[in-house]
This record gives sequence, structure tokens and C-alpha cells, in this order.
Amino acid sequence: MKRFEQLNPLAVAIYYLCVLIITMFSMNPLLLGIALVTSVISGILTGTAKLRTHLIFALVFLVAAVLNPLFVHKGVTVLFYLNDRPITLEATAYGLCAAAMLVAALYRLRELSKTLTSDKVLYLFGRISPKLALLLSMTIRYVSLLHIRWRKISDSQRALGLYDDGNLIDAVRGRARVLSILITWTLENGIITAESMESRGYGSGRRTSYAVYRVHTADIIFIIVCLLLTAATAVGVWQSQTAYYPALDMDLLTPWGSAGAAAFALLGVLPLIINAKEAIRWRLLLSKT
Amino acid sequence: MALITVKDLSFTYPNSDKKALSDISLTIEKGEFITLMGATGSGKSTLLRLLKPELRQNGDISGEVLFNDRQTETLSPRESAEKIGYVAQNPEEQIVTDKVWHELAFTLENLGARRSDIARRVAETAAYFGISDRMERDTATLSGGEKQLLNLAAVMTADPELLLLDEPTAQLDPIAAARFIETVYRLNRETGVTVLICEHRAEELFAISDRVVILDDGQIKYDAAPRQVAAQIDINSPHEAFLPTAARIAHLVYQSSDAFGSLYQKAPNDIPLNIREGQRFIGQFANTVRVLDDESSAHPDAVALSLKNIHFRYERNSPDILRDLSLTVYGGEVFALLGANGAGKSTAAAVIAGLRKPYSGTVKLFDKPLKDYKNGSLYQNNLSLLPQDTESVFIRETVGEELKGCETIVESFPYDLRPLYSRHPYDISGGERQLAALCKALSTGPRLLIMDEPSKGLDNHAKTLLRDIILRLKSDGVTVLLITHDTEFAALCADRCALFAQGNIAAVDTTENFMSGNRFYTTAASRITRQRYDGAYTADRAARLIRLNGGAP
Amino acid sequence: MIVIQNKNLRTMMKYVIPFVLIPVLVAISAIVFAGQRYIIISLGIAVLAILLFITGFERKNIGSRRMVITAIMTALAVFGRFIPLFKPITAICVMTAVYLGAEAGFLCGSMSVLISNIYFGQGPWTPFQMLGFGLIGLFAGYLSKVLMRSRWLMLLYGVIAGVAYSFIMDIWTVLWYAGGFDLKLYTAAIVSAIPFTLLYAVSNVVFLLILQKTVGNKLNRIKIKYGV
Ligand SMILES: Nc1ncnc2c1ncn2[C@@H]1O[C@H](COP(=O)(O)OP(=O)(O)OP(=O)(O)O)[C@@H](O)[C@H]1O
Ligand SMILES: Nc1ncnc2c1ncn2[C@@H]1O[C@H](COP(=O)(O)OP(=O)(O)OP(=O)(O)O)[C@@H](O)[C@H]1O
Ligand SMILES: [Mg+2]
Ligand SMILES: [Mg+2]
Repeated sequence: MKRFEQLNPLAVAIYYLCVLIITMFSMNPLLLGIALVTSVISGILTGTAKLRTHLIFALVFLVAAVLNPLFVHKGVTVLFYLNDRPITLEATAYGLCAAAMLVAALYRLRELSKTLTSDKVLYLFGRISPKLALLLSMTIRYVSLLHIRWRKISDSQRALGLYDDGNLIDAVRGRARVLSILITWTLENGIITAESMESRGYGSGRRTSYAVYRVHTADIIFIIVCLLLTAATAVGVWQSQTAYYPALDMDLLTPWGSAGAAAFALLGVLPLIINAKEAIRWRLLLSKT
Repeated sequence: MALITVKDLSFTYPNSDKKALSDISLTIEKGEFITLMGATGSGKSTLLRLLKPELRQNGDISGEVLFNDRQTETLSPRESAEKIGYVAQNPEEQIVTDKVWHELAFTLENLGARRSDIARRVAETAAYFGISDRMERDTATLSGGEKQLLNLAAVMTADPELLLLDEPTAQLDPIAAARFIETVYRLNRETGVTVLICEHRAEELFAISDRVVILDDGQIKYDAAPRQVAAQIDINSPHEAFLPTAARIAHLVYQSSDAFGSLYQKAPNDIPLNIREGQRFIGQFANTVRVLDDESSAHPDAVALSLKNIHFRYERNSPDILRDLSLTVYGGEVFALLGANGAGKSTAAAVIAGLRKPYSGTVKLFDKPLKDYKNGSLYQNNLSLLPQDTESVFIRETVGEELKGCETIVESFPYDLRPLYSRHPYDISGGERQLAALCKALSTGPRLLIMDEPSKGLDNHAKTLLRDIILRLKSDGVTVLLITHDTEFAALCADRCALFAQGNIAAVDTTENFMSGNRFYTTAASRITRQRYDGAYTADRAARLIRLNGGAP
Repeated sequence: MIVIQNKNLRTMMKYVIPFVLIPVLVAISAIVFAGQRYIIISLGIAVLAILLFITGFERKNIGSRRMVITAIMTALAVFGRFIPLFKPITAICVMTAVYLGAEAGFLCGSMSVLISNIYFGQGPWTPFQMLGFGLIGLFAGYLSKVLMRSRWLMLLYGVIAGVAYSFIMDIWTVLWYAGGFDLKLYTAAIVSAIPFTLLYAVSNVVFLLILQKTVGNKLNRIKIKYGV
């Protein structure tokens, strides 16, 4: 099991929030390059992105990169004319950076979706409101039930000879009927669920929210490290200059800028480091016994 | 000390002028285990619900209910949740949340317990009920038995003083049901929780209850220790059907004998209540005649349905649910497919009905492969499936609209559905809903009818009704494939039975041989008589055999 | 935890958030940040609005029956997102709002997005979508008396909601990509999204037509039978 995924969901969420905020909201080419590289590496090593995903994201990168110079004609350095419209260096550079931002964010979001499973999302929202946590939990259960029941209903309607896939109209009508039964079934029996809730004390007072996740020291340390690295990166962004229009005006490798970039690179591979450390520790443990 | 005192309680539902309960008086001591029985509509659920304030329904009420010498109305919702636990019939609908651990924590969350307390109670309860290993499971993926056990465990986390159970095992197979009742009994002994359980399962409950209460039409008819109740019930009364098989055999044996009066009045302790006592009871009779020589009906030759080497799985890399399943059902017979929850019976039905495609093997219906039935002709005049969840059948707002076009079938039914025509399909009782669904299933004029768990949740009267319908269909030449885990019901109407286990048929035989051959998956009568007689798989047959051997000593 | 105790304050907030707070914040951000990083601001606002709503929800006493029905309707909306092309989510939010009130409408919209994005992928768009569908439900709830009276108005609401939702989501797409608002990109986005917008408006109408009859009757029946 991967150590990073076992951290408290709050720590995981904060991590992705930090990475995504920097990725999406700084137009610093250096940071964006780092963001792209680390997110691709992370996607490969954590196994969250398969070959198909890489190909799709590559395509997205191309499209996004071309889109900006085609539509935006700001900038003073004209590279060439297309249909009497100037294609500028500045717009091209911006497009490349925006594309890097987009694709890096997509990789990270994919990772995030795979890591933050339903019970983790529920835990996070449960912290805000126990009642909402309950509503979400009930809803998730009903989603599973609806899927199961949909299948049951279409099966039994078909076997009663009432459901014909012969043509499109029949198929649509059949589905509408299945949907109608599904809604009746679930709503009508909801009363039993409501009674079960009441007889188990729902509404008798202030609710608390229980969760299987605890906050450990490791989580706190992880969150602090995340925030420190993010702060360092932010200072780096602050201290370096990035202007695309009217002409490129960049000063990226100031001392602060380089330090920020290093911090961001470290942040980008933090989960990988944690997982690797855990793997090594296991190896050692096993070799000792 | 009395935990619950009910004094002259009467109750009338708002839209009805008949009393659902009249003048009920009942005392329940702390730590007692009480079984509540009665026919459908006798008021069991109504009584149970009146004991817990949040479940009280609107209506005219008179008399009083005391909990620990306090009026139940004065219990706060919090006290009621803490002290009175309630589990009802439908395992699935009572579950509220999506994860097993969350469901266990739910009551304590509502009571505002601290996290550390919740953690401890949840862990402890899970260990007690043996569900620690499925804490992370989604509740929607649990089997029926697992769901009901979870419901019981979830109620027990609050450590209640009183447990109200309303037909909790109605949806479970006999083994899961026995295990559930055992757990309740263990709770009663080990934690001292008072139990009031509504159930039809006399076999298990008569042996362990402190008292049995039988309701009849809103009134308490019997209220005594199980043996006394067995002694009090008259042979010819309809309540006789509530007794366990051993007692029923004794009843039937003594029915026409003078010794009857003496045995029952003088020595109620001699009335057998469980399998062991039943065996001892039977031991006093001769067994020179071991079998009834009734015409053993040879099955017809025409094959209605044949399955050959069927393999099926739901997803590509999930395990096989049906493994090399082969089966032959002959035309015009009633064939029962028995097996535990989750054995794959419904899956087999779906494959037979062409709803799921096996990845190897062939299904032939009336000598024609399933795939040769084109354009839904399979479901017109050939095959019909009465599904396990009858909710999935009804579309319209009233029963009348629902049964439009089934008039001839409705008229031929032994039970009159017409008075229900103006009601919503969800507002009628479970048994009535089952019959209405059956009407719809028969409206396509099937030659093969598959019924998936038709007897679940029905009382004995309704079961008899259903048996009559099945036997009539049989005499009309319809082949019936009965899928059930109710061995007693299968024994009543099937010609042949098969035991389904691990996706395959483990045994198939005539009902008589099947029931005598099995040791656990068989009827109580068969278990009682197996050492002395052959083929006595119902109380009736056992009594006939005993009489053939000379009857009462 | 932020909990709003006072009931009047809570009711007031219900109107203040969508009508006053959000526009004011947008205006401030436009002035202070001089058109830069709209996206951060709007993200913040979306999150804030949802949070405020949730805290209001926490304080309220919601009966178990209401809770169950809201959960079922939200689950139906999530379930509906699995249907290819046609999305009944708006129709379901509107029905929920009309029969169970504005708050239930908001919750149905926003929570169904949150949950279905667990399957479809969370992203910076999650808060915007949550707010978007939440508001569709919320306004339907405010207008429930009118919408209930005339089925044409309800269909019209469906069309408007569909188009408005697309237009607003495209603003965010452009803001995110271009860092600031760019009319040309926006027009391009809108034009390229026309088929989807149309499909969206049409499916809203279709589903409203279907659901109005089925769900409407059922919710009515349930409300009477169980006394919600
Ligand atoms: N909500 C209701 N409105 C009106 N009458 C009702 C209602 N619920 C039950 N009844 C009637 O009250 C009587 C007792 O019903 P109750 O449900 O208590 O029976 P039961 O013994 O639990 O039956 P079962 O074995 O079918 O569960 C029946 O005649 C029934 O028709
Ligand atoms: N749609 C499905 N997808 C995946 N697995 C399923 C599905 N339906 C059933 N199963 C699994 O297949 C197995 C057999 O289920 P099935 O419903 O056929 O059992 P059954 O014998 O009818 O049980 P019961 O007596 O409870 O009705 C179970 O383990 C179940 O979890
Ligand atoms: Mg009942
Ligand atoms: Mg089944």
C-alpha cells in the first residue's frame, strides 16, 4: 500500500490544493515546466495515467498551445502572417505556457480523483457539517442502489414481455418506464429508511460525525512541509518577473526565483519521496528478519 | 421487574373503522425473550410500533404503554433511541449510510457521542457480530443475510434495554435465518437485553423463547410458556399452523385418539417442541411400515427446459457464478431449485430467461435454443419470470390499472384481488402484492413459469393459497420452476427438487428422496423422522405413517 | 465551526449570498485586482458561497423524511449523469426545488455535482459547477409557486437555465485558460459549444416533460402519504 494515500485526506487535499494553485495561477514558465515534468513523472510512477491518457493529454497540449497565437494577436514580435493575421512570438510563448499549465493540471487532477475516493471526499465535507456528511453518505448509497435496481427492473420488465428493444421509440419508452418504476420503488421505500433513521435517534439532538481517519503527527508534519514549500515558491514567484505582453520580459533566475523553483520541484515529487522511503524501510525490515 | 407494561391498549387506524388492536394487556419482564405470532393483519407490527414512540402511527389510541414504569410518550427521542432498538423486515431499506463502519456509528453519531467512544463501541460491536473484516465494504454490496446482521449490530451499538424485531428473517435463507435468531438469543443471554420478536419460524423460536404470544384479529389469544401454548392450542384451530413440526406431528397423531385429551391436559411437558424431542416422541411408535405407498409419479418425458454446461460470470475478471450447470426440467412438472442466499439461483433464472448470456453452454426451451426465439417471442406464450423483487413489476398508480388485461386470470384466482383495484400497488400487503405480480406474469400465457422466491414473507395461510395456485397451473399443463430457499414450501408443492450450491446442482431427485437424503437442507419433519421412516417429509405424512403403524400406544 | 444561530439572519443570508455578496465580491475583485486573476477570486467566491450555504444547512432541523427524499433525488441526478449526452440533472434539481424548497434544490444541484465528479473527475471546475447547478435549484425554489402553476413556465425555466449555465461556464473556461477575460476566445468558446448548449436546453425540456408527470405525481403522493 502506498504511504501517501494513507495520509489523512485533509493532508492529501492540502497537498493537491498547493500544487494546483501554483500550477494553475502562476504563469511563470520555469515553474510551469517543472509542474509539467513532475506531474508526468508522478502520473507514471503512481500508475494513475495509462498510455491512452498520455496520448490524449499530448493532444490537448498541442491544441491548447496553438489556440492562443491563432486567436490572440497581441505582442510586438511578429513571426509570420496567417490569413493576414500576425502570429506573434509573445502569444506563442503564452500559448505554450498555458498549455503546459493545462496539461500539468489535468495530470494532477486525475491523480487527485484517483486518490480522493468517495469516503475521503465525504470525510472532508463531514468536517464542515455532520449533517451534510450524512446526506452525502446516504446519496452515495442510493447511487449504488439505483444502479442495481435499474438492472433488476429492466430485467423483470423484459421477462414479463413488456419491454421491447425493437425500434428507437420503443426503446426510449421502455427506458422511461424503467425510470418511472425506479423512482417509485426508491421513493416509496424511502419511508422505511426514514423510520430506521428516526428509531436510531436521528434528529434527537446535535449530531457528531465519526470517521475512520485520524490526524497523526506524520500528517501534521506533512502539511507543514507542504505549506512551507508553497510559501517558498510563492516568494520566488513574487521576486521574479514574468510579463508576456507587449514583449517578453522575464527575469526568472534571481536567487529567490531559483530557490522557489527548487522548492516547487521538491513539492511536486513529495508523494513519490514518501512512498519510496516507505518501500526502502520495508526492504530493510524484511532483510533483517 | 416489568420493563414494559401494556394496559388495555386499543388502536384504530385513521382511515379504518375496525380496531387493529383491542384491549391488549401484556407485561414483559426485564431480560425476557418473547415471541409474537399471528396471521397477516393480526396486528403484530401495529403492537410493536406502539412500543416505540417515534414509530407510533397516527390513529385512535386508548390504554397505556409503560416503559420502566414511565409512559412511553414521555420518553424523549434520545432516550427512546438509546433504550429501544428496532429492526424490521426489509434488510436493504433500513440501512442508511454507504459504508459498514458508518452504519455502525450512525446511532452514536445521532446521540452526539464523542469520537473516542464511538470508535470503541463500533470496534467492540463489530467484533462481537463477527463483521470486523467487512467494515470497509459498501453496504449496497452486502448479501441479504449480511445486511440484516448489520442492522442488528447497528442497533446494538447503543446498548438498548429492549430489542423489537419485526419479522427480521423474512428475506433470509433457513441457514442465515437460524444463525440470525441464534445471535439474538446469544445477545439475550449474554447482555440481558429484553427481546420481543415477531416471527413465523416456530422451529427455532419455540425452543428458546420464555413466552409465546399469539395475536388473533387484534387480540391476544395465547400468552404463555411455549409448551403451555402448544398444549392450549386446539387441533382444529387455525393457530395450529404456528406450532413447530414436532408438536404438529404429535397433534395429528392424537387427533383421532382418546389418548389425546389425557396427554395434553395432564402432561403438557410431554409435548415435543424441537427436533430432538420429536425424535424421542416418534421413538415410541412401531416402524414396521417404513414408507407410504402412494403412487410415485413418474415424471413426464417431454423436456421443457434443458441447460447444458452453463458457465456464467458477471464481469470478465470476477469469479464464475454458474459453473458447469446442467439441468433438465420436464414438461408439466413443478421443479424446485433450492439453495442458500447468494448461491446464484436468481442468476440461473436470469440466464434461463435469456436476460444474461452465459459465456459457454446452451439453454434449450421446448427443444429450441434460446437464441432462436426472435423478437421477444420468448416472452410471449413461452416463458415468464416472476422476479424476486416484486417492486420491479409495477408501473401504474393503482392495482386496477396494473391488472388491466388480466381479468380472466384474476377471476380464476382463489384470492379476490378486485377489492384492491383502487389502491396503490405499494399500499397493499406483501402477500397481495406477490399475487398481483403473479397475475401480470401469467398474463402472457407462459408455458414455463419461473418464480423467484414467491413465498418470502408470507404467512402459512398465504402459502397454502400460493400452493393451490401452483398446483392448478400444473394441472393446466404449465411447467413451473420454483426458486426458493424455503424447504417447507418446496416440500408442499414440488415434484422434484434440486440443491443449488457453488453455481452448480449438488443433488437432484424427487421431492421424497431429496428430502430424505439431505440432512440439513430439508424439512423439519424429515429431520425428525429420518431414522425411523422414509419419505415422511411433511408433518402430515409423518402422522399418516405413525397411524399406519398402529397409532397411539 | 461556523454556525449561524439566528433564524432570521439565516433566512436573510439565503438571499444576501446570491444577490448581494457574490456581485459585490466580483466587483471588488475587478477593481482591486484590475482584471487579473479573476479565476482565483471567482473560485474563492464559489467555495465561500457553498460553505455559507452548508453552515446554514447544518443548523437547520431537517426531518428524516425530507433528508431521505433529498438524498434520493440527488442520487437520481448523479445517476442521470451516467446517461450519455442527455443530462437530466437540471430537470431533477428543478423538480426537487419546486416540491421540497429552495434549499433542497441547492443541495440537490451542488451535491450531485460533487458526488458525480468523484466518478467523472474533480477539478477547479467542481466549485463552479456546484454553484451553477446549486443556483439553478435555488432560483427554481424561489420561483416554485409560479413554476408549479404553469408547465410552460417550467419548460422556459429549463431552457433559460440550460443556456445560462453554458454561457457562465464558458466564462470560467476562458478565464482559466487566458488568465483574463478575452472576448474573442469567449465567442469562440460559445460558438464551438452551440451544439452542446442546444442539446442541453433540449434535454432539459425533454426531461422536465417526462419528470413533471412521473416525479411530480410521485413526490406529491409521498408528501401526502408520509406527511413531509
Ligand atoms: N397504515 C395503515 N392504515 C390503515 N390500516 C392499517 C395500516 N397498517 C396496518 N393496517 C391494518 O391494521 C391491521 C393490522 O396490521 P399489522 O400490519 O399490524 O399486521 P401484522 O400482524 O403485522 O401483519 P403482517 O404479518 O402482514 O406483517 C391490518 O388489518 C391492516 O390492514
Ligand atoms: N448484478 C450483479 N453484478 C455482480 N455480481 C452479482 C450481481 N447480481 C448478483 N451478483 C452476485 O452473484 C451471486 C449470486 O447472486 P444471486 O442473486 O443469483 O443469488 P441467489 O441464490 O438468488 O440469492 P438469494 O437467495 O439471496 O436471492 C452473489 O454472490 C451476488 O453477489
Ligand atoms: Mg407486520
Ligand atoms: Mg435470488
